Amino acid sequence: MSLVHLANVCSHLQNASKARLGLTSIPSTNQLLTLSLALQSSGFLSSVTRAGLTPPLNTNITYEPEPVTQENVSSRRLWLGLKYWDNRPVLSEMSMVSKPTKRVWMDVESLGRIVRGREAGFVRGLTRPGECLFVSTDRGVMEARECVEKRVGGMLLCRVL
Amino acid sequence: MGLVSKPPARDLFKRYDAEEKAALAKRYTPEHMEAIEAAEEAIDPDDLNERGVIRSDWGSLNYLDDFSQMQPTIDKRIKREGPVDPKERLMTPEEYAQHHKDYFMKIMDENDVPVDFDRDDPEQLKKLRPNRLDEFKSWDEVPDMIGSNGPLKSESMLAPGVPRDFESAVDDPENARKAEEDEDPRDPDGRYALLMKQTGLTMDEIGSYKIKVLVHHRVVNQTRLGKIQSQYILAIAGNGNGRLGLGQAKGQEMEDTQANARIQAIRNMQPVPRYEERTIFGEVEAKVSAVEVKLMSRPPGFGLRCQHLIFEMARAAGIQDLAARVPRSRNKMNTVKAAYEALMKQRIPDEIARGRGKKLVDVRKVYYGGRV
Repeated sequence: MSLVHLANVCSHLQNASKARLGLTSIPSTNQLLTLSLALQSSGFLSSVTRAGLTPPLNTNITYEPEPVTQENVSSRRLWLGLKYWDNRPVLSEMSMVSKPTKRVWMDVESLGRIVRGREAGFVRGLTRPGECLFVSTDRGVMEARECVEKRVGGMLLCRVL
Repeated sequence: MGLVSKPPARDLFKRYDAEEKAALAKRYTPEHMEAIEAAEEAIDPDDLNERGVIRSDWGSLNYLDDFSQMQPTIDKRIKREGPVDPKERLMTPEEYAQHHKDYFMKIMDENDVPVDFDRDDPEQLKKLRPNRLDEFKSWDEVPDMIGSNGPLKSESMLAPGVPRDFESAVDDPENARKAEEDEDPRDPDGRYALLMKQTGLTMDEIGSYKIKVLVHHRVVNQTRLGKIQSQYILAIAGNGNGRLGLGQAKGQEMEDTQANARIQAIRNMQPVPRYEERTIFGEVEAKVSAVEVKLMSRPPGFGLRCQHLIFEMARAAGIQDLAARVPRSRNKMNTVKAAYEALMKQRIPDEIARGRGKKLVDVRKVYYGGRV
């Protein structure tokens, strides 16, 4: 799976927060969808909705997205609601750890070190308050702390602050 | 150490006696009383004694207030006590004027004009009543409403607790002379006089601050008349307990400029977020010009292992455990500015948790009854 889309999304979300957008869209892929849902459950995003090229009219709970079909799959986008608190974006920094040309995998022991703020395998620890690292595992995309809790390792995707 | 000689918890948190229960029963229903008794049974006084500690976390009040006094900036004004009088109304202008007239007539009756009164003598004119002070007082004292039991004073429009110090509003040569006598020997030139007047600080407080000049160098302005030299001073001021300020000043005279920088630093003192009142929250970075400063929190007992400028700032702010790196340029002035910026832009975990809608608990405050 290519990481090029992810790299673009990292930059795009940083730019969108700096521009104080309330809603933005990213390409709709399974990898980005699972990452967005992980970001949402960590509290970085207010909503994740799949819709067409125009933003969904209503992003509340009762909204039912159009089913994805052969005809409309190419025009699907993921619409992400961005959060702001105390006049600051909740998601302010997002950067890749694995790069398209250099993937980084990590086992639980090393992830544990990173979560505790130590360096492991050329990856800096999570030392800044509220910093999160998202990991793609065979149980889906998870936050690094959750990975350590569930004893699974995986490929490091991006760090978010 | 107070650990052994602690009184038993039951003495601190006593049960309601029969008399108190009877008083409570007057206000509460039997169901309420049952709930109160059940709660009394359920709560263990030893546990309450362990857990009911005085808060020292971020966000707790920095004083113990028993709420017995009004604070004009915090408290709302008090409404008049008792039932509302349906017949209460504003006075008509005639009635109001009559009450003012009575007020002043009473003063005039009590203070007769002397027989040998000379209207041209300013000294005698000052003694004449009613004077300006009486005028001020009349606004505060003369009633302006009429209720069913006669005239009333309506609720004051002023914030509660504002001192009604009318004496100081009236020019008094006596007070002015007193102020001159009170001149502090620690500040003979009166450098801090304006600061004290504007901020309400006392000389004791100013003396207790940790003030230090960290950077000074010569700056030059090239004009058509030649080079004009002056001094640049950068000073810090901190109270050693979580407040820190930067002050800059430029001037010809060394001493005056230093004093100005110090005064600016005191004025600019701002609260610095501190974790457990000893270190910072996590890692912070700041950049001013080419200087990048990275401050890192450290465990208790680590000390201040950082370069001298940041060391002085941490000490003034009351930070005991800190590590710092200044990887690029090490310009003194910008290092201080960047370190100040880094200290001020710390992200507080509580705020992050609120932003993300997460629950956050500091485990160090959970174990050992919060007494780590």
